[in-house]
Amino acid sequence: MESGVDAAIKRHRVHLRSATLRDAPPVTLHLLPCEVAVDGPAPVGRFFTPAIRQGPEGEHRGRTTAPGSRRTGPRAPHLLGSGGRCGFEVSFRGRCLRGEEVAVPPGLVGYVMVTEEKEVSMGKPDPLRDSGTDDEESPLERDFDRFIGATASFSHFTLWGLETVPGPDAKVRGALTWPSLAAAIHAQVPED
Amino acid sequence: MAAGVDCGDRVGARQHVFLVPEYLKDASKKMKSGLMFVKLVNPCSGEGAIYLFNMCLQQLFEVKVFKEKHHSWFINQSVQSGGLLHFATPVDPLFLLLHYLIKADKEGKFQPLDQVVVDNMFPNCILLLKLPGLEKLLHHVTEEKGNPEIDNKKYYKYSKEKTLKWLGKKVNQTTAALKTNNVNVSSRVQSTAFFSGDQVSTDKEEDYVRYAHGLISDYIPKELSDDLSKYLKLPEPSASLPNPPSKKIKLSDEPVEAKEDYTKFNTKDLKTEKLGLPTGHFVMAAQRQKRGK
Repeated sequence: MESGVDAAIKRHRVHLRSATLRDAPPVTLHLLPCEVAVDGPAPVGRFFTPAIRQGPEGEHRGRTTAPGSRRTGPRAPHLLGSGGRCGFEVSFRGRCLRGEEVAVPPGLVGYVMVTEEKEVSMGKPDPLRDSGTDDEESPLERDFDRFIGATASFSHFTLWGLETVPGPDAKVRGALTWPSLAAAIHAQVPED
Repeated sequence: MAAGVDCGDRVGARQHVFLVPEYLKDASKKMKSGLMFVKLVNPCSGEGAIYLFNMCLQQLFEVKVFKEKHHSWFINQSVQSGGLLHFATPVDPLFLLLHYLIKADKEGKFQPLDQVVVDNMFPNCILLLKLPGLEKLLHHVTEEKGNPEIDNKKYYKYSKEKTLKWLGKKVNQTTAALKTNNVNVSSRVQSTAFFSGDQVSTDKEEDYVRYAHGLISDYIPKELSDDLSKYLKLPEPSASLPNPPSKKIKLSDEPVEAKEDYTKFNTKDLKTEKLGLPTGHFVMAAQRQKRGK
């Protein structure tokens, strides 16, 4: 059994259902500064969301731009230093969190994706699948292939830090600059 | 379908948070299918990595994962442990082809591409042969032969000289991007570097080139990375290191943390959940530092 599974993974292709990229409804995302060791439903709208309030510095200044998006010139003053930071405040498990909205870098779009269970795609029609156009079996698809689909999309998320808003040197902000660097690394070089 | 309901339905289903190029959404209007995640070789480590292949646009993307301790997602009315953020970014397929060309070069002869790109471990490598403009790409790294009067087949042989020249250009364009993005490339960690415009003036050109060399080295085998370092005339990072065979030491350049993470990732999840290796830029700063010492 084990070796059979291994062999399947090698030849595995996980098809992304393109139609789901178009239909994905917006989603609210929070990146918490703690590990919650569970995957599953949670009454976020009952406990977390209503407790979010503006930071002590006054009104929220609106969406900030991801670090990677600022290609030229110095950073805007509001990104400098943490003294003048405002944003959101909430408490989770009795700890104070401060956060702010972080935009998805320009040229990118965010998706939440869920892998379809094999049983679902083989048996009853899957909601992700009955999009009409995707039903035809492509020759690229094989029996042992699997499917993944976008369930939601986003253009920004709320980044939370413990006590303070994660600073400009936070790793996640660095990661958001990756796409612009990757573009340069992988761009075709000019011929001589 | 309301996403909230959706999440409720999928009790315990693993949700992946992805950032993908916007044009994939537009492209999806025209294509019925053709976007798929496949496992292909990581040209640096020779191990497996997850890529996103677009049959329609004939494009290859690599999947990288942001992973840091103590993070979780709230996704609408659900919680997702791990706090992973996946990036799908375009990748130059030549890096992967190079892996096979270098391997085939041991036989030391000109070969047609379909005999070069062969892989029992990652049979999906045949997808690489479907990419458009391959001949033009291969120009950068191979000598080629062909006799149009006999057949239309082209025969290729790896050329280190051409490859180094090509990689040199890659380093140049990456160096330029590091500057425009104000990435801190100095070996000291300065928390201000990521957002301070002043930093640019204090970073040396050599630091940029070394950092760019490091980024490119994540896509080429170790030996070639060393050759590239010489080609770029980068000084040895440290005089205290034993002389010529600096290879052993440099092995640590391979993202050790990433490997660990990957293993954890594997044991927890099966199959598709193995979406990628948290390598490269994410652990880059730390590596650059180590190297600088």
